[in-house]
Amino acid sequence: MTDLAIELSGVGKTYPFFSLDNIDLKVPEGQIMGLIGPNGAGKSTTIRILMGLVHQDRGEVRVLGHHMPAEQVAAKWDIGFASEDMRLYESMTLGWHMSFIQSIYSSWDAAYAQLLLKRFGLRAEQKIKGLSHGQRVKATLLLVFARRPKLLILDEPTTGLDPVARHEILRELTNVMADEGRSILFSSHNTQDVEQISDQITFIDRGRIIDSMDKETYLDRWRRVRLEVPFGIDLPALPGIIGIRRDGRLAVATANEFVPGLANAYESAGARIQCIESMTLEEIFVANVEHSREEVEA
Amino acid sequence: MNGAFAISQSDKRPMYLQIMEQIKQRIAVGDWSEGQSIPSIRQLAVDLQVSVITVKRAYLELEREGIIVTQQGKGSHVASTSGLGARLREQELEQHLVQATRIAAMLGLRPRELEHRLREAGDRVAEKETI
Amino acid sequence: MKGSVAGHLILKDWQLYRMPIALSIVGGVMSLAIFQWGGGWEGTMVVGSVWFYVALILVGTMLPLVGIVNERKKQNLAFVMSLPISPIQYTTSKLVSTVGMFLVPWLTLTISGLMLVEARGIVPRGSIPMMLILDAMPFVGLCIITGVALVGESEGWGIAANVFCNSSYGLVWYFLSRVPALMVNTKGPVPVWNSTVLSVLSAEFGSIVLILGLTFYLQSRKRDFI
Repeated sequence: MTDLAIELSGVGKTYPFFSLDNIDLKVPEGQIMGLIGPNGAGKSTTIRILMGLVHQDRGEVRVLGHHMPAEQVAAKWDIGFASEDMRLYESMTLGWHMSFIQSIYSSWDAAYAQLLLKRFGLRAEQKIKGLSHGQRVKATLLLVFARRPKLLILDEPTTGLDPVARHEILRELTNVMADEGRSILFSSHNTQDVEQISDQITFIDRGRIIDSMDKETYLDRWRRVRLEVPFGIDLPALPGIIGIRRDGRLAVATANEFVPGLANAYESAGARIQCIESMTLEEIFVANVEHSREEVEA
Repeated sequence: MNGAFAISQSDKRPMYLQIMEQIKQRIAVGDWSEGQSIPSIRQLAVDLQVSVITVKRAYLELEREGIIVTQQGKGSHVASTSGLGARLREQELEQHLVQATRIAAMLGLRPRELEHRLREAGDRVAEKETI
Repeated sequence: MKGSVAGHLILKDWQLYRMPIALSIVGGVMSLAIFQWGGGWEGTMVVGSVWFYVALILVGTMLPLVGIVNERKKQNLAFVMSLPISPIQYTTSKLVSTVGMFLVPWLTLTISGLMLVEARGIVPRGSIPMMLILDAMPFVGLCIITGVALVGESEGWGIAANVFCNSSYGLVWYFLSRVPALMVNTKGPVPVWNSTVLSVLSAEFGSIVLILGLTFYLQSRKRDFI
């Protein structure tokens, strides 16, 4: 049984206008978990609770085996954290920040840091205030990567980056994978990135976890069924289908618990299956959120 | 070694299937020979910038089909069944033929015409190779 | 582990803010010079002494506003808290570095001022107790602003504390100068440490300890640090 890099059990946090509830999350060592959800869903709050910056109101948090927030100092020695709302000191240079981090962490790999400077196209002598947004993000991530931390917790690491920069970051993230003792949890709006490199995907909306499972299983469960439905035929409600849209003779059914043969009932009812397509994570995202909101309103 | 691998997100097929297909192609073409060791799951995942779980799935399916073998602690290698390369090439040819037949049907070609086209294509390929 | 992280943070603050500290020392020394060698005119003495206190008040304001409020506003706090420290260690390092950095100009200028009075005698030595009482005021002010900046978290609170302190200095001075027991010996040749003087001084330093302690306590009770 592998160790868990991250374990959240029944975690909750109540704010005046928002509450996080019943958050259960497990990230085994050596895995990458992608956290997705709309803005305001609770991703950042969850991440802050993981870092011990916010004290949960309910539930238990263990990161690298340490209880949070009580043992946050011990945990943070092995965590590399970067969030979208984090900034470096504008008046200082990147080189100063590198020396600063190096003076604290003995795991700093100076050679790797130099390599990253080159790969990211950054220069140590530059002051942070002279860097563009994309360069600042890369600088912040360089400080995280060069330490080779056991666990990386990243809040929107590729947001606002141009395609080349995004690719550079993805490359370093996947390089972390080479060591099966290292783990990553990252939240992102970029569903493509999440779909590509995550082992597990967790979906959060409105403070609750909607789905949390391994990526391959997840992608297998979602299908778009395109149907041709003659007039006068009613389509039966099937388990595992969360929505059907009809437009004239055409219909599209979205399945979130697809099994082979599921759609046969439509043919029995008189419709013809045109095709059954898999869905990208982005399409799943939208369908999921719309569905869960309809349920709440119902 | 893995430079020619290309996983495309715009390809509608799942990533694990793309990986499987490209591995089969390499064996079929002879780049990876029977019994040859292949990258570990984790190594391939890093090279392709793809999640470990996806490569794991591809390897599992390939093992199920008898194309590769994974041994605990020793990594993975191409199955040493003789004629594996040839068998995969057969499979690929079969797939292409089925595909050609389907498209021909859509175009309304009769079997005779399809045969004729096949021979023409063969001639063109032979020409190119002599140049 | 290489040394304490809190220690590194204090060092970091020194590196970030040493310019303003140096400037305030220069400013303070210049004002002392004006005071002392301005020809003994009352005008230059007033100007010199005012600038002296201004230098101290300015650095006492700037340090917490820039070092604490700005750090949070400019979102550097998330960077700092990603390091292996707890919120309490952060608070401690901030209090130590802010008060410590203030002490550099404060001690320098206070001691220089005292030495000047001792050596040159333009001002009667009887005024030394009142000088010290006045001198401690920016120190108290610094602690108030620092405490509010840490606990209050927003720029608004920091500015409010700043305004409160700046407007209080004059008022407090006015009331203190009306206390006979304090003023009676200021023109004399010898500093007199009567019980009123000592009570006021201990009240000032007592409030410094109280404010810092209260800050520490309130910070430790926070459940959401960022």
